[in-house]
Amino acid sequence: MTAAPIRILFVDDEERILRSLALQFRRQYEVLTESDPHRALQRLKSEAVHILVSDQRMPQMSGAELLAQAREIAPQTLRILLTGYSDLDAAVAALNGGGIFRYLTKPWDQQEMAFTLRQAAQIAARQVQAPVVPSASLLAAQLNVLLLDEDPQTLAVVGDFCVAGGHRLLRVNNLGEALGVLNELPVDLLVSDLKLAGEEVAPLLKSLAQAHPRLLTLVVTPFCDTQALLKLINEAQIFRYLPKPIRRGLFEKGLQAAAEQAQLWRAQPTQVVSRLPEMPREEREREKVGSLLGMLGRLRERLTA
Amino acid sequence: MTTTSALARLLKPVMPLAPGMSIADVADRLLTPEHKAFLSLPIVDAAGYPLGLVSRSALQDIFMQRFGRDLRGRHPVQEVMNPAPLVVSLDTSLEEAAKQITGQLQYPITEDFILVDAQGQYRGLGTVLDLLKAMEARIAQRNAVLRRALVDLKESQAQLVQSEKMASLGQMVAGVAHELNTPLGYVKNNVQLLRELSAPLFELAEAQAALADCLADPHCAEVRLAVALDNAAKAREQATPELLVEDLNQLFDDTLYGLQQIAELVVGLKDFARLDRAMSEEVDLNDCIRSALVIARNSIKDKAEAILQLGELPRIPCAPSQINQVLLNLFTNAAQAIEGFGQIRVKTWAEETAVFISVQDSGRGMPAGVLARIFDPFFTTKPVGQGTGLGLSISFKIIQDHGGLIRVASEPGRGTRFLIRLPRPQAAALQRSA
Repeated sequence: MTAAPIRILFVDDEERILRSLALQFRRQYEVLTESDPHRALQRLKSEAVHILVSDQRMPQMSGAELLAQAREIAPQTLRILLTGYSDLDAAVAALNGGGIFRYLTKPWDQQEMAFTLRQAAQIAARQVQAPVVPSASLLAAQLNVLLLDEDPQTLAVVGDFCVAGGHRLLRVNNLGEALGVLNELPVDLLVSDLKLAGEEVAPLLKSLAQAHPRLLTLVVTPFCDTQALLKLINEAQIFRYLPKPIRRGLFEKGLQAAAEQAQLWRAQPTQVVSRLPEMPREEREREKVGSLLGMLGRLRERLTA
Repeated sequence: MTTTSALARLLKPVMPLAPGMSIADVADRLLTPEHKAFLSLPIVDAAGYPLGLVSRSALQDIFMQRFGRDLRGRHPVQEVMNPAPLVVSLDTSLEEAAKQITGQLQYPITEDFILVDAQGQYRGLGTVLDLLKAMEARIAQRNAVLRRALVDLKESQAQLVQSEKMASLGQMVAGVAHELNTPLGYVKNNVQLLRELSAPLFELAEAQAALADCLADPHCAEVRLAVALDNAAKAREQATPELLVEDLNQLFDDTLYGLQQIAELVVGLKDFARLDRAMSEEVDLNDCIRSALVIARNSIKDKAEAILQLGELPRIPCAPSQINQVLLNLFTNAAQAIEGFGQIRVKTWAEETAVFISVQDSGRGMPAGVLARIFDPFFTTKPVGQGTGLGLSISFKIIQDHGGLIRVASEPGRGTRFLIRLPRPQAAALQRSA
């Protein structure tokens, strides 16, 4: 490694987990460990950490809480949750509050863990090369917002948000129309349920994460399945997950945060966008995502041009 | 079955008497076989509206007087009828009719009652005896329905108790399964690391064996020896056994510790869920507390620190899995009551006649209104779908079945304390014999 080594901080209340992870990764990275989340936060304030991997259930503080605080202290640090519990609330909190890059489960697969950290390290290395310089002039740009939800409540909130921010609202009735819009127009924000006109939207979200890493997706849905959410986090890199019935305040905050992020990214060179989704594991879903990627050809051409 | 038809079934279409009919003729009519069953006969006007009832006993009173029949036999019956008889409309329900009739009936019973239609026109007579029979049949029917309802209720209660048990068992299994993931996580990783780290050691062993062979062989060529020496040195450099020792030892220690953790969880699960052989077992309640804590650890760990002050306890006969269920319920409730991070204090002690378990949390406590209902079945403060409201009522029942007591004290903002008292039967027997 030529540049400064990537620094990874592991946080877990079980020391043996920390020792095991340290031994696994000490050759590739500079590994730091903390069993107390408070000390981990202290450390983030004083040292550069590229990747933070945290357990969820710890006596002093939950992992979601730690990651949310870490985001305030060091927004550039990539955050990963590593937990033995599949807990929907924790996953939602870690995503919405902690903006996690991945949700990993214990026991972990050695290869997968190594792969995920390698991906995170790649992003971190790019960020080191091109530090963020937000230019104020671009921070109030008009955005294109695509809505994939028939729910009038969602429309009301998104409509108000677009009017207030001077953004352009694009509405479609089915996935075919959505593909058309995505190919024709630069879309910045996507607000979507998991079902549109009876069709599953998740494969499209996963394809978009591959084709268009700068697109920010807010999922608003009455479905709450932990496993499905984990896949949306890891494979579609969604920005927010908001359960229906919609809580207006929370939704508005999410839209606002997404708009700010989108405007910040506009001000940056393309390569620093800190997103890199995992490919779906399941064969059939991978095929579906692949064929959707084919249908998004014009979008990809535009982005690579 | 409609209630109107119930009264209609009591209806006897007796031919009514005209008000002007003579008393003697009425007496003759009463003597005919078809009227034998009636205490009285109806008197109805030309338009069909009832005027009154003339009873057998009224006529007997007249005829028992000397020359009664001769003196009054020709008088119209109107003179001796009861002008205010019991009149019941046919569309009255059986219950309502019974209420009306028993309310107005006078002893001795000397009359029947008149049944009229909705317009008040005479339709027939009804007898009190028939009414009684109908009521009895109705009551018997109601009883049968109630008995069936009771059976159903008992069944569904048993099902609820069972489903609460399954729910807590499911929660426990899910909790332990998750709890297993932590030791599994590092044990699995460690074993893979051990394999990776030990691979160069085998190469080193092989290189050194080749070197040893060379050294032992007097005919070994200089070149071959040099290569073997070089290989062994390189392998040694690769493997760095002196650096590995510490890592490997640590990995082995951690792995063994993790396996022990896993074993403990499995034993805990087994202890916890063991099927009861009635109350035959003599159990140290401290063991129950420890095994319930192992099981509850996943729901407690991030909410509270468990502080144990377990005194020495005599073994008492009880159903350990039931006691475990009660304890698990108290521990998880305590954890759920805590905002932020708190403490759960578990204390046990023995007195002459009983043993005591106290479970005290530093949670949000309960207002008096909640406290008063806490052992009621189906009472829950948790959101819909998150609690059956049966946990504590079942706990109450379990402790009661053990001849014990469970009591609660709580203060909003300070916490809640549950106290369980279980009797010591041996001590009680000793006392009696002393």
